[in-house]
Amino acid sequence: TIGLQVSSGLQDLSLRDRGGRRRDFHDLGVNTRQAMVHVQESKTGFSGKMIKLTTNHFRLTSRPQWALYQYHVGYSPEMEARRLRSALLFQHEETIGKTHAFDGSILFLPKKLDNKVTELFSRTRNGEDVKITVTLTNELPPTSPTCLQFYNIIFRRLLKMLNLQQIGRNYYNPSDPVSIPNHRLMVWLGFTSSILQYEENIMLCADVSHKVLRGETVLDTMHSLHSQVGEERFRDTCAKELIGLIVLTKYNNRTYRIDDIDWDNNPKSTFRKSDGSEMSFVEYYKKQYNIEISDWMQPVLISQMKRKRGNIQGSVALIPELCSLTGLTDKMRSDFNMMKDLAIHTRLPPEQRQRELGRLLNYIQKDDNVQKELRNWGLSFDYKSVSFTGRVVQGEKIFQSGTMFDYNPQFADWTKETRGVPLIRSMPMDSWLLIYTRRNYDVANTLLQSLFKVTPSMGIRMNRPNMIEVDDRTEAYLRVLQQRVTPDIDIVVCILSSSRKDKYDAIKKYLCTDCPIPSQCVLARTLSKPQTIMTVATKIALQMNCKMGGELWSVEIPLKQVMIVGIDCYHDTVSGKQSIAGFVASLNQAVTRWFSRCVVQSRGQELVDGIKTCLQTALRNWSKWNKCLPSRIFVYRDGVGDGQLNTLVNYEVPQFLDCLKSIGTDYSPRLTVIVVKKRVGARFFAEIGGGLKNPPPGTVVDTVVTRPEWYDFFVVSQTVKNGCVAPTHYNVIYDTSQLKPDHVQRLTYKLCHMYYNWSGIIRVPAPCQYAHKLAFLVGQSIHREPNLTLSDRLYYL
Amino acid sequence: MEKNLQEEFTPIVKFEPPLYKQRYQFVKDLVEKYKPKKVADLGCADCSLLWMLKFCSCIEVLAGLDICANVMREKMHTLSPLPVDYLQPSERSLTVTLHHGSVAHKDPCMLGFDLVTCIELIEHLEESELEKFPEVVFGFMAPSIVVISTPNSEFNSLLPRVMLYRHPDHKFEWSQAQFQSWALETARCYDYSVEFTGVGHPPTGMEKVGFCTQIGVFFRKHPQTGESVQSEKPMEAVYKTVFKAVYPSLKDEKYLQNAVINEVLFTAQIIKHRLMSKREEYSDDPETKSKFQSSMDCFSDYLGKLVVEKNMEPFVSGNEVYIPLTTIFSFPKVNRLCGTFEKLCKLIAGKVTLSSDGSAVMFNIEHENEEN
Repeated sequence: TIGLQVSSGLQDLSLRDRGGRRRDFHDLGVNTRQAMVHVQESKTGFSGKMIKLTTNHFRLTSRPQWALYQYHVGYSPEMEARRLRSALLFQHEETIGKTHAFDGSILFLPKKLDNKVTELFSRTRNGEDVKITVTLTNELPPTSPTCLQFYNIIFRRLLKMLNLQQIGRNYYNPSDPVSIPNHRLMVWLGFTSSILQYEENIMLCADVSHKVLRGETVLDTMHSLHSQVGEERFRDTCAKELIGLIVLTKYNNRTYRIDDIDWDNNPKSTFRKSDGSEMSFVEYYKKQYNIEISDWMQPVLISQMKRKRGNIQGSVALIPELCSLTGLTDKMRSDFNMMKDLAIHTRLPPEQRQRELGRLLNYIQKDDNVQKELRNWGLSFDYKSVSFTGRVVQGEKIFQSGTMFDYNPQFADWTKETRGVPLIRSMPMDSWLLIYTRRNYDVANTLLQSLFKVTPSMGIRMNRPNMIEVDDRTEAYLRVLQQRVTPDIDIVVCILSSSRKDKYDAIKKYLCTDCPIPSQCVLARTLSKPQTIMTVATKIALQMNCKMGGELWSVEIPLKQVMIVGIDCYHDTVSGKQSIAGFVASLNQAVTRWFSRCVVQSRGQELVDGIKTCLQTALRNWSKWNKCLPSRIFVYRDGVGDGQLNTLVNYEVPQFLDCLKSIGTDYSPRLTVIVVKKRVGARFFAEIGGGLKNPPPGTVVDTVVTRPEWYDFFVVSQTVKNGCVAPTHYNVIYDTSQLKPDHVQRLTYKLCHMYYNWSGIIRVPAPCQYAHKLAFLVGQSIHREPNLTLSDRLYYL
Repeated sequence: MEKNLQEEFTPIVKFEPPLYKQRYQFVKDLVEKYKPKKVADLGCADCSLLWMLKFCSCIEVLAGLDICANVMREKMHTLSPLPVDYLQPSERSLTVTLHHGSVAHKDPCMLGFDLVTCIELIEHLEESELEKFPEVVFGFMAPSIVVISTPNSEFNSLLPRVMLYRHPDHKFEWSQAQFQSWALETARCYDYSVEFTGVGHPPTGMEKVGFCTQIGVFFRKHPQTGESVQSEKPMEAVYKTVFKAVYPSLKDEKYLQNAVINEVLFTAQIIKHRLMSKREEYSDDPETKSKFQSSMDCFSDYLGKLVVEKNMEPFVSGNEVYIPLTTIFSFPKVNRLCGTFEKLCKLIAGKVTLSSDGSAVMFNIEHENEEN
């Protein structure tokens, strides 16, 4: 990690223009593999059929004996201003050369200066003489962490030279936008890029990225919200819709996050400038940018500035009229038609995705200035993406009550195969409530009839429910729940007439905390189509069964006495106050029953303490079920942000170990901790029949594009209907299991089959998805830890 | 040309706002007053004046010239269009160009400007360059207005740290009399009038020394002839273009058409949405089914009227929704963008699905809401 220290100045240089937080996004320098002896030699698996794959990685090559020379630059007398420091230094371009990267104190050069210490003399505009001392501090080999950061900076420079616009972390091409006028959206095509040391080579991983921009200002959005919801709910709705969104301003190239809306101020309000004088926003924008603000009644948006260095915290006020929205709101994401229209442009199938990427590489290759810059640094790219072989592991067999199924690997789904087969464990519905409003009376009956048709073959015993009609108001639902829900009730089914969140939240909150009974909410609209009602009823029956503690299917788990844990986090973006960690642990050998808890923590609180408690109770419950303690524990940890790996390795894992130690002196189970990452830049394409296709589910990649310092692998487990499938990255950061990598990979893939809300393979191991579901429900609706009597059931599905 | 640090930090005379800002503000005020369309800044250095000027809505062409390409490059990206400029193209067109070259050389790219600014430039010129400067700027470029600012050496006694000149690169610093006689002679020679002013007031009681920065504003007296004469003999370009940015503008048909299509479809969507949610209200509630029935009658009524008097109401027919272009045109944003109804029709032709007679935007609603 020495390289990291010396390069802190370099990080400055790289992310300076972003105005955001500086972080080590790629978790460089976290070497976890070295502590795991059994994967020193090899971390690759062996099972499955070989498959030819292409990826979106491109080799970076440097000329032989290439090195980057790092210099410290000192000034005497000391010069404060960075611009002045650069200006003074570059008066000596004949000595230093035209190719350089300088952040004010650290200078990088592609060549070695004649002397270790070079003294230069410059004169300021005031006629002051300055001595500049340029001292060689490091000769960096191409693979040093600092060099990697440096490559990324240079690559960003290249993108800038290609006239791409930086928005957030990525670069976009503004000259060829796709507009989707129906929704007033504009999509810019751009690229994500990162250069890293992979297994054998340093490579550029580039992917197509789409930036959704909105052709309206925040003020426009506010106006349309006002006309939609009216005065009374206006401010709340604005807060819900707008807080957390990223805006671009009309006058500079910065992005800001909306953290708050200040309704007490308006453009006529004054603010204090850095020189201490007061000025109104109207005046300021007129004077500074010649912009006339037309609406003087609009509120002011507040954006918090976070700077790591010196912990400067301040806020910026923004005028809604001058801010354009970027990205999608949750409401937009739930708009099916909008997402469909958007998907046409953003879900590129493999061939098209590679073609777009090829275009970027082509720009780079064709641009003289870019090529000159690369040449000056002695660097070049392979313009053809890397190809290699991966493996497709065999499909799993699905077991359900003595019957065994194979599924079609092409669809990775067994809905059809398991239809009409009894469940492993079906829970009776002897006493249950069906609550509906008057106008949904017919719908309620349709649901009931359909449930009576589909449940017998599943083995579910079902009595007629208590049918209760309520007014379509939250209080009415709550009153009925308070009066009619008793502890002997198996489940409460509520038919809701709209997707209004407040009603749903109130019901869930009551039935998860005050009166812990499983509940199922159904939108009336979902039940209104006769042609789909049987499918819907089947899904609801399965879901309810799981919520009551039932089990649907299983796959073969070859390990004995194993406990599998899944952890995921939910961060409340609206209030920004709470984070919720969902914690799920298996209870039985078949891994079909789960113990679930969650940790609700306020801002600034450490997550690990809560997780430790969760693990302790999970172990207690496991031993209650199995009459012994597990001898193996697998933790699948999702919800780890870029740059947080170090924290995980140094704080969370020791806490797990501590917790295990606290159980007993003679208890030392084998522990494996795997970090699960869904958002990765890598894409794989199968070369099939001369074209590029999505790789089939079960594709495992553990060479070439993995990282040498990690015990990591990729699995493509799900299928997608359109676009490119995204592989999931698994990073084993701690492992005393002594299992072969192949077995860890297989176990991971098996667990992707075990999510009961989807009779197919999903993107992550089931415990991660359960943990996600739990954290989401608590974060969105309940806001505190649900009653523990529910903890042995999947009540949050 | 540059911020003379000295001026800002001297303990005796302190200018607020800093003097360089006052100089820029002076130029900005001039632009506001005379509304030039084409402005060139000679000795533009790090482009900060150009950056300020890009926000002046009257300017359509902005050019910068400097002898040092590196100093221009340093911040030239601030002159590029912003994402928002693409999202909401402005009415005016704007092109910003940076050239690398000397004010002692003539280049045809500098012809046809309305305003040429030379802020703190001339004192950096060598004697030979200064000699050629009037011929290049006043004789060749011959803009309507020229602004020249330069230090007033009489003020230097109030700036204690100044030994000889305010900046080591200055080749000379003139007194008021020296500057004025040079300016008057130049003006006379090229048929300009000149007015003297400045920024940076002297302290009370010392008014005699004059402004810290002296400024001459030159106005061309003769009508423009230079351009036509010059264009007869094509000249060689000697400047190197370092940077060029063309801002998206509604004057450009491509952006206008995009903006119009966007606005038309969006407006039509709003109207359709209103229409459909009205219908849904009726169909949702079984008790108001009769009402919906009667509104159906209304729709067919509209159909009848449409034939007779081109009614502006949108209507539903089978699986299709029709929104008359006249309705859309009546929305202020669409109206402002297109100007005339004919222009609207022309711009959206072939890009938006219309009814068979071309009078209405048509949507098919058959497959909508299927998955919800």
